[in-house]
Amino acid sequence: MIQLKDISKSFNGNEVIHDLSLEIPQGKTVVLIGPSGCGKSTLLRLMVGLLWPETGNISLFQEDLSRANVEKLRQQVGFVLQDGGLFPHMTAVQNMRLMADYLHHDPQNTEQRIAELCDLTHISPDLLGRYPSELSGGQVQRVALMRALMLDPQILFLDEPLGALDPLNRVSLQDEMKTIFSQLGKTVVLVTHDMGEAASLADLIVIMKDGYLLQYDTLSNLSSHPADPFVTEFINAQRKPWQQLEDQIK
Amino acid sequence: MKLLIFYSYLFLSLLIANPAQAETASEIRIGSKKFTESVILSEVITQHLQNNHISAIHKDQLGGTRLLWKALIQGELDIYPDYTGTIIYEILQGEEISSDADIQAALARHGVSMTSPLGFNNTYALGITPSTARRFSLEKISDLRQYPELKFGFTNEFMDREDGWPSLRDHYQLPQTAVRGLDHDLAYKGLEAGSIDLIDLYSTDSEIAYYQLNVLKDDESYFPDYRAVILYRTELKDRVPEVQTHLTQLGGIISETEMIKMNSDVKLEGLSEAEVAQSFLNIKFNTLSKIEVSTRLDRLITTTSEHLFLVCLSLGAAILVAIPLGIWGARNATLGQVILSIVGIIQTIPSLALLVFMIPLLGIGGPPALVALFLYSLLPIVRNTLSGLTGLPIDVQESARALGLPAAARLRLIELPLAARSILAGIKTSAVINVGTATLGALIGAGGYGQPILTGIRLDDTSLILEGAIPAAVLALLVQWSFDFAERTFLSPGLQMKQESTS
Repeated sequence: MIQLKDISKSFNGNEVIHDLSLEIPQGKTVVLIGPSGCGKSTLLRLMVGLLWPETGNISLFQEDLSRANVEKLRQQVGFVLQDGGLFPHMTAVQNMRLMADYLHHDPQNTEQRIAELCDLTHISPDLLGRYPSELSGGQVQRVALMRALMLDPQILFLDEPLGALDPLNRVSLQDEMKTIFSQLGKTVVLVTHDMGEAASLADLIVIMKDGYLLQYDTLSNLSSHPADPFVTEFINAQRKPWQQLEDQIK
Repeated sequence: MKLLIFYSYLFLSLLIANPAQAETASEIRIGSKKFTESVILSEVITQHLQNNHISAIHKDQLGGTRLLWKALIQGELDIYPDYTGTIIYEILQGEEISSDADIQAALARHGVSMTSPLGFNNTYALGITPSTARRFSLEKISDLRQYPELKFGFTNEFMDREDGWPSLRDHYQLPQTAVRGLDHDLAYKGLEAGSIDLIDLYSTDSEIAYYQLNVLKDDESYFPDYRAVILYRTELKDRVPEVQTHLTQLGGIISETEMIKMNSDVKLEGLSEAEVAQSFLNIKFNTLSKIEVSTRLDRLITTTSEHLFLVCLSLGAAILVAIPLGIWGARNATLGQVILSIVGIIQTIPSLALLVFMIPLLGIGGPPALVALFLYSLLPIVRNTLSGLTGLPIDVQESARALGLPAAARLRLIELPLAARSILAGIKTSAVINVGTATLGALIGAGGYGQPILTGIRLDDTSLILEGAIPAAVLALLVQWSFDFAERTFLSPGLQMKQESTS
């Protein structure tokens, strides 16, 4: 579904992605994880053509991504940012239907799609008339997810979609996303630095460090057959606070 | 780029449609300088022509000699009164002139003719208060040599003209260094208040009698004759042949006493120049013409419509040009810097200088004022459009691109609506500045609220100054309020709430 071949990318002469190749199969949820600055968000932006690599090439739906087809391909994928990236001058529903209206889709189908998405994300249709500044963080992310799903894209890209939420909202939206992803059968690429999120959502996990792909595998294989000592270190580092918490409670 | 060409075309065609330009070709235009006597003389000339059924219009209080002369030789004006001394030392500076015939010949090279003198001599003189005269026992200009501490206040024109202060100082070997330039009408006030000791005068000034000033004797005969004459374009003889006859009739008609009387009727008695000129002509030519005295309301309606015309047209054109410039600059940082520097430099040109630069290109009246106001209105709008667009939050810009919206649609649906608050604020700033700056349009004959202000300063008439200043201030406030209203009405509520929560 998504293929990256020998990608490298530099900012101001510093290479941040080094000769990276990756293939993401259809219908799977793949989580890109790693410490801050490992290049995971850059990699995600390369996949939608928000950034362009110096070398290598990227293809979506077997089609090489280029400046000529980037707008067409973007319309076939969904993208959710950490802060939602909603347009503040439009209400929730205006944000959602922007592209459908721009592409002159049948308004009746659009209405129907909005109703479906409200059911899917458990958002009350009453909230849709509000502006982003009147919505809570969790509601903003749900609207952003609905906007991304509006045109029923085959691929969904999410850049730390839960990063700005408080722990309670985080857990509930994480559970909902898990259900939504499995219901819809979309190909999902999600960026996070939270191992719990990855464990809960991912079919496959990409562990990155300093612009290199260390390992691309299932969680159990990462744990049982780490390709690099850092993989174990990273997984354990995130387990530790939980163990401490549980020890304290006992 | 096409858009830009279209806009400039639109702007130019609006300029050409400007009513001030729509005068009939045969109408004779008479100019006057920015002081009372010149306005009265031009009013006499204008009414005399009108009484003889020649279509004539008086473009009053345009500025100084250089501006009037330029307008005359370029055909913006057909006629204006001047003085022989001014013509020799100011206009024909550097040419060998010893007689009226020499003046005629030199003027002819510029396509200009001169009538015979109107009668009176209005030369420069130096005036002091009686108390100063007593204290220093001053009678003659040469007496000034002994008192270097005296403070002089001269008109700006006298300060730098060839026959003015610098050569007067050299001629009499005067030692004074505390010399400053100020407006003629304000000089009397300064003299009365004691902040200056000596001023330059015109010998026909009504204030000499009013303030009981002592005039110092020109004992080493420095000041030349300043006999009033009428300058007119020679081609007028072909265009409207009877004009010359009527101008000749005015030769020798005004004595020095009559001129002083007319000046004081205007400056001290509060009559209008038109009324004074009319009663003078009625006596001299036994005519019974009656001029209509305009009421304050009539004047207010005229100045308001002139002012609104200047502001609306120049601001409208500036909006149409500045927003695309800002968008263009936001696309490319280097280009943006270049655009901002250029409109920034335009902003630093003093408004009076910019107006004068415009005269050779666009003449006098509405067009040069409109272009100057247009240029001044650019910077705030360009800057706010540019900063509004480049300052958009990165996540909004990214998600607009990630949705797959093409650049033009992003600009229309996302970027411009989000930058609207900033752009609107830029337009508001421009509009308020524009309302104020447009008062200067009166200096080059564009009318507006500057007209009563200018006349009021000249006649020291506070109520007349306020007749221009108050409506200008009210208009500025109205502009401000209407933009605040537009912001509340047209700006997305989503953006206004954001503003409230962050403020």
